[in-house]
Amino acid sequence: MPLNRREFLFRGVGVATVSAMIPRFAIAGARHFEEFVSSAASGRVLVVVELSGGNDGLNTVIPYTDALYSGTYRKTIGVPVSDVLDLDGTLGLNPSMSGMKALWDAGRVAVIEGVAYPSPNLSHFTSRDIWHTADPKLLQRRGWLGRYADKALAGTANPLSGCAISSSLPRTLLADNVVFPAFSNPGSYSYTTDGANPGDGANQVAAFVAQNSMEHEIANRNETIERVARDAASSSATLKQVANGYTAKATYPANSLGQALKLCAEIIVGDFGTSILYVTYGGFDNHSAQKTTHDALLRGVSDAIKSFFDDLDGQGKASHALLMTWSEFGRRVQENGSLGTDHGTAGVHFVVGPSAVKGIYGPPPQLAKLDGNGNLPWQTDFRSYYGTILTDWLAVPDAASVLGTGYPNLGCVART
Amino acid sequence: MSLRWDRAAASHLARRAGFGGTPAEIDALLAMGLDGAVSSFVGYEAIDTSALEADLARLTAPVPPATTPTYDLNTTVGIQKWFLHRMVFSRRPLEEKMTLLWNGHFTSGIAKVNDATLILKQNKTERSLALGRFDDLVLAMTKDPAMIIWLDNRTNVKGRPNENYARELMELFTLGVDRYTQKDVSELARALTGWTIAKPEGTAVSEYAFSFNAAAHDAGAKTILGQTGNWNADDAIGILLNATDGNGSVSGRFLAGKLWTWFVYHDPPDWAVADLASVYVSSNHSIRAMVDHLFHMPEFYEPHTRQALVRSPVEYIVAPLRQLEAKTDLSTPAASLNPMGQALFNPLDAKGWEGDLDWMNTGTVFARAAFTNSLVTNRGATGTRIDVPALVSQKSLATPRDVVTALADRLGLSDALPASQAVWEKYVDSKSDGSRGYWTNTPAAVDQKVRGLLHLMLTSADYHLS
Repeated sequence: MPLNRREFLFRGVGVATVSAMIPRFAIAGARHFEEFVSSAASGRVLVVVELSGGNDGLNTVIPYTDALYSGTYRKTIGVPVSDVLDLDGTLGLNPSMSGMKALWDAGRVAVIEGVAYPSPNLSHFTSRDIWHTADPKLLQRRGWLGRYADKALAGTANPLSGCAISSSLPRTLLADNVVFPAFSNPGSYSYTTDGANPGDGANQVAAFVAQNSMEHEIANRNETIERVARDAASSSATLKQVANGYTAKATYPANSLGQALKLCAEIIVGDFGTSILYVTYGGFDNHSAQKTTHDALLRGVSDAIKSFFDDLDGQGKASHALLMTWSEFGRRVQENGSLGTDHGTAGVHFVVGPSAVKGIYGPPPQLAKLDGNGNLPWQTDFRSYYGTILTDWLAVPDAASVLGTGYPNLGCVART
Repeated sequence: MSLRWDRAAASHLARRAGFGGTPAEIDALLAMGLDGAVSSFVGYEAIDTSALEADLARLTAPVPPATTPTYDLNTTVGIQKWFLHRMVFSRRPLEEKMTLLWNGHFTSGIAKVNDATLILKQNKTERSLALGRFDDLVLAMTKDPAMIIWLDNRTNVKGRPNENYARELMELFTLGVDRYTQKDVSELARALTGWTIAKPEGTAVSEYAFSFNAAAHDAGAKTILGQTGNWNADDAIGILLNATDGNGSVSGRFLAGKLWTWFVYHDPPDWAVADLASVYVSSNHSIRAMVDHLFHMPEFYEPHTRQALVRSPVEYIVAPLRQLEAKTDLSTPAASLNPMGQALFNPLDAKGWEGDLDWMNTGTVFARAAFTNSLVTNRGATGTRIDVPALVSQKSLATPRDVVTALADRLGLSDALPASQAVWEKYVDSKSDGSRGYWTNTPAAVDQKVRGLLHLMLTSADYHLS
């Protein structure tokens, strides 16, 4: 049997070029990885989907049996009760989310309700940083998956142990000892050189790596940038393999999330030993004229996720993937005068995949019990959400080593 | 602390107050002395820019038989080119550098505003008030049509307040997060009700102008930062900008931190913030006074201040175009913004761009390299390109070291590590098989290695930093 691509990269080309270019990762660190994470995690990929802007949970998973929803708070922008896609007789999906409903019916969706953190901050930016770092006090510089990566992935010599399909690196993935690549188009992901002098190209690439491998007596910004440049050079060699002809087994929506998830499927199917994939989908800050925009966004999310799992099913890889969504906050319960919603607190999130345990976790929103600012009270600590993923999907033996403290397990991910 | 005014200091000032200088420009700044050099940036109204304005007038009008101009100001890419053109060619670099700061601070995105004319109008307003009183700039932005659309104040009406602008006015624009309560946000939103836009019936979106709708304004009493009255937006801005706490002016410290982070380095020390904030108070909130003071501070020229800032994509595009005296129609530069992560006039959210090391990830490293490679290897007669023989005299390039020295001076990299210089010398002298002994000082060698070395230098960590 021929080597699979991952083995090929690490044993063959990878050792000759990638590790030669980037000695920091060439140290034998595999043992460290095995010590930290049980072998159950190998082959598993976590796909993080950030819904940026603050998704309106109440129009996503609708408490349609609560009379206050259509009668008081969402008189004009609310989803008509007769249109919701019922989940459990109490809550129902926005009708534009037929793809998510199909996944629910297939037993592949866990809905996490009331997720927030204590004393919610209604600033996009503060709240986003709290979610990225899993630290309401914002004392952590690194992201929560960055801290995971420093423990589990540093030294694995794999330049594609995780990546963001994005033009910028989300703080969730900011680590000290791992630089996750960020790219939106693998085809243009390389160090371009003088096309008129192809014979000089190898000299230019060699000099590019050399000028980014300086010794610095003290840590400084040059050193940080050089490391990013070196990791770019080494991961581009790997990504050249990804860019080679992939035939999806499903039709993805044309939106940016669909295209990003298609690239995620390519990476999963290509078997590059990747364990973290991160995509961002924006536009959820709907202060005005929300309904049309938001419904279309939810359709985009739902269709893209459905296509992603259809594709992986077709490739025989669905069991390798678990997808989780997050957004910095939910929105104000009372719609505003602009047919939109202002910033709120607790939100609803989805865990999707064959290993998700179908169900609704956390208490459903109770519109009769709002806080002093008219927001939903915080019910499920977001670190419980993260901790469950770390423990039951990424097989971290002690999630507190990443999150600082232990939090109750939600049980929304199957244990193996 | 005394301040040593030398060529490196002049080069540093040119990078920070502008976008970097050519060797001749640095020499001229050096000869002016510190005060003269700072004045040449800060007192920019004295510099004639009529040639620039004439060029822009020509480039924004269609040349028959073409029906669209080179820079079509009805499009996003057209206004991107217009702004880039100013940054590359203006003789008032600080005017554009300040406008770029305000562009990211009081930002509005075309994805939501959906009209390039209104976005361009905002940019012009920011430029006209760039070094004025902070109060005037904040008020102008509060009445700016693009901003009113972007942060929803046009739907902020009595009885149904929309908090979007009120929150960002305090959090992002004047005070900083957690300097106010949620109650202050909702009260400020009430003061801002009725501050909207209007246009004559049947006209285009670009005709929107500020309009006060008295019927939509909440004339009741509001309590903002502890002060109660029937405040309107004017009053409220005054309350915000005059607010004090135990450490003095809150907005003064906020603006001081902003300017320090933009011009000097991140995480400003308390003493520097206090120093600049005191200038804010004593100058009646003059941005010019603060910037002028900052460029005279010895700390600004300290070695640890050099190379402490990451060039934003815009700066990374503009700097080599200026330093290499490139010819450009701004097409490639404008098209290079998005891949580098700075879609000018179209930020993802109200905060603008995070900046600093957030600019640098593996994808943007390559996007930057793609731009510089295209800049230095375009040997055609059109597009964005450099003139190698005009940049360096062939006869001055006897050895690989001569090549490195000349180009490092051109790009302001003369202080690069000796090890970097050794890598560059080795490159210049490398044959296609990697062995040494290539350099022969022929026109063909100059064309290949000068272009190749410029690409390497521009993609070094030293050049990503400013």
